[in-house]
Amino acid sequence: MGIALCWSIYIMQTKVLMLGWEFPPLINGGLGVACLGMGRAMAGHVDLTFILPQTDPTFVVEQVNLIGLNHLSESDFSAMQRTDEIRSFAEVELIDADLQPYVEAELKAREEITTFGETTISHHRAIEGREDTGLAMFSNSGSLYGEDVNARVVAYARAVAALAEGRDFDVVHAHDWMTFLAGMEIKARTGKPLVLHVHSLSYDRGGPDARGWIYDIEKNAMEAADLVIPVSNYTGTICSGHYGIHAAKIHAVHNGAEEVKAFREKKPFPEKLVLFLGRVTGQKGPRFFLEIAAQVLKKNRNVRFVVAGTGERLKELIEYGAFRDVGDRLHFTGFLDRDKVNSLLSMADVYCMPSVSEPFGLSALEAVQFNIPAVISKQSGVAEVLVHARMADYWDVELMAAHISELLTDEEAHADAVAASKEDQINCTWDKAAERVVALYKSELGLG
Amino acid sequence: MPELALYFQAHQPNRLKPYTFFDIGRDPFYEDDELNRDILHRVSDSCYIPANRLFMELADTLGDDFKLTYSLSGVFLEQLEHHRPDVLASFQDLVATGSVELLCETYYHALSFRASGEEFARQVVKQQETLDRLFGVKPKVFRHTELIYFNEIAAFVEELGFEGMLGEGVPHLLNGRSPNVLYQAPNVKSMKTMLRNNPLSDDVAFRFADPSWEDYPLTPERYAKWIAHAGGDVVGVFLDYETIGEHIGCDKGVFDFWRGLPAALKKEGVAMTTPSEAIGEFKVAGEYDAHEVTSWADSTKDLSAWKSNAMQAEAKAKILSLEKAVKSHQNPELLHQWSKMQTSDHYYYMFTKGGPDGAVHDHFSPYPSPYDAYLYFMNALSDLQVRVGESFD
Repeated sequence: MGIALCWSIYIMQTKVLMLGWEFPPLINGGLGVACLGMGRAMAGHVDLTFILPQTDPTFVVEQVNLIGLNHLSESDFSAMQRTDEIRSFAEVELIDADLQPYVEAELKAREEITTFGETTISHHRAIEGREDTGLAMFSNSGSLYGEDVNARVVAYARAVAALAEGRDFDVVHAHDWMTFLAGMEIKARTGKPLVLHVHSLSYDRGGPDARGWIYDIEKNAMEAADLVIPVSNYTGTICSGHYGIHAAKIHAVHNGAEEVKAFREKKPFPEKLVLFLGRVTGQKGPRFFLEIAAQVLKKNRNVRFVVAGTGERLKELIEYGAFRDVGDRLHFTGFLDRDKVNSLLSMADVYCMPSVSEPFGLSALEAVQFNIPAVISKQSGVAEVLVHARMADYWDVELMAAHISELLTDEEAHADAVAASKEDQINCTWDKAAERVVALYKSELGLG
Repeated sequence: MPELALYFQAHQPNRLKPYTFFDIGRDPFYEDDELNRDILHRVSDSCYIPANRLFMELADTLGDDFKLTYSLSGVFLEQLEHHRPDVLASFQDLVATGSVELLCETYYHALSFRASGEEFARQVVKQQETLDRLFGVKPKVFRHTELIYFNEIAAFVEELGFEGMLGEGVPHLLNGRSPNVLYQAPNVKSMKTMLRNNPLSDDVAFRFADPSWEDYPLTPERYAKWIAHAGGDVVGVFLDYETIGEHIGCDKGVFDFWRGLPAALKKEGVAMTTPSEAIGEFKVAGEYDAHEVTSWADSTKDLSAWKSNAMQAEAKAKILSLEKAVKSHQNPELLHQWSKMQTSDHYYYMFTKGGPDGAVHDHFSPYPSPYDAYLYFMNALSDLQVRVGESFD
């Protein structure tokens, strides 16, 4: 009886094939953290298989079948072709005999890098010809990005599409452009509904004029998708407005925030501390942070500002800080590990996120958990969650500086801001996010 | 027939360690002691010890025919006292021969002058006291860090009691005149200015080791001939001591060159002299009007080696702005630490102009980039601000 009941629950669960690129503990970037949070929470509601380029076999997520391409080999693939055997999630997956490479897309990818020309990815089959799976690309623990990211994306799509054809699932759910190609291919081969989870767009990273291979993948994939889930309404408006995707299939789901163990450390210097955490790229607005710092320091020298992170704008920003004469108050730490970041959070008085375009902005929620008020740009998803936080347009240096100055000098305002933001983020959990995704599967795709 | 004044500069800075934001308020020690000690040992073995031994032999055998001049920065002497007393002793032996003259400079090999005449003078006095204590000498001739020279500083140095000062013979200021005679700044009473002969100095400092140079390899005989035919009263050949054996390796024949030079000079009839002797011997031939700041550094012979970008400018201005706060503490350790951050090398490492000059800067820098040099310096500076209480102002 008991066994029969379990079986019936099992077969009623929606079978989700999730495709991800970054995943802890191998890559701890924002995307990886979000994929883990979402995957963990979804596991309670659906039958979840998560395919990644690389996994660490010692890292187990309860109830999630994690498959890392780095643990598959060409011989596994051919063996499976011969036996044509469906195996359980604990074992290596079945590969369809029709294993075809993305020859055309691969060539275009290379062309794209040098020409920035417009390309169109086939909605149906980007796969023609016959080649190996390119699995070797994921076998070592090197970077998943870099110069040959396009080739990796293609290799991932090829391998994952082959894996998917022999599997039983109801929906494919892909996280960001690196896996969108695979998602499209799987939909083309199997006809299963395609859900795209949008954590970041080339619009965010490269600005409104960014075009190229990645943009094309994003646009084509979103057009092919049955449901697009951006991490905020802000990003949803970019999907519809900038990419021209039908608004009816776009439904935002805010990220959750893992509970962090917050603590306070005493600063070893008398000044207040204002923190910027993130890559030093145009998207994150570090230049605006510097301008804000200079503005605050005009009236109040009793503040130190820290830029924690690295990126292509770092040198330019360091020199500009010297030019603005704030080099003894604006400190650059370079890339920091989690312990150092937490140490900064434990000492900081205000968190500032002046992003030019921020799909979500999880770090602002982490700051709130450390009892630090966040001053955030209106061009961020987290502004939809921390509705009581002080915010300004990213370019409004004056207003950002006024917010920070107030929070640094008015203790009551500081305490109120923390309390209000803590209230705002109470419902911001991965469980809530997962529930909403499952509800969307049902309402938009008729699953479950 | 001109005489030859050969002067070597020996200096080692106290390089900063990778001092991060997290060290501010926690770590009162900024210097990379291990690195500084290692470099001192390395250069002692490659240059100071063998070169001092060579010149000692020459002084012993040639007696009065051999003349040599050094300037040894205070921070360098301090490092020697701590880590290489043997090297210090060999310098003392050289000075004791009577063939070797010492020049005065700022103790901290600093750039400060315009920001604070008081601080400049303090460092000069500290260097004078150090040279008196270690060598029992009181130099009559002054050279500023990296041969920085201009009218205003010449007048100030004269006020401090010096009879002569060295400077770079900058072609456009010489305007066709010879660098091999003594000059005078327009605004001094009697102090004489002795200039560095740029081509003849760079021949032995840089081109010596360049195989693509048409005169490579340079022999003492040929070089002595060039000096003999250079014209004027005294040829100033001024260069870094570390050129011998460190910047130019012993495999390039650099020791043989210097060993052979005195004999070759003698054959040509060129006498060796020192700046103070030349100043006593020769008259002023004309006015040298350096209304702009000159130095011996880089191809530009100006301050751009330490002052051509915003990072260098800010770092230097901010350290000097702490003068009052630091001095108000009357804490010798703190004062010393602050002063050591005025050493020109810190700003030299922040150079970003690139090109052949940039390659030389990179060669000397212990940091991955000028930006790292700047960040470590500014973090240490911030700690100093916290310690002197400047941040409460």
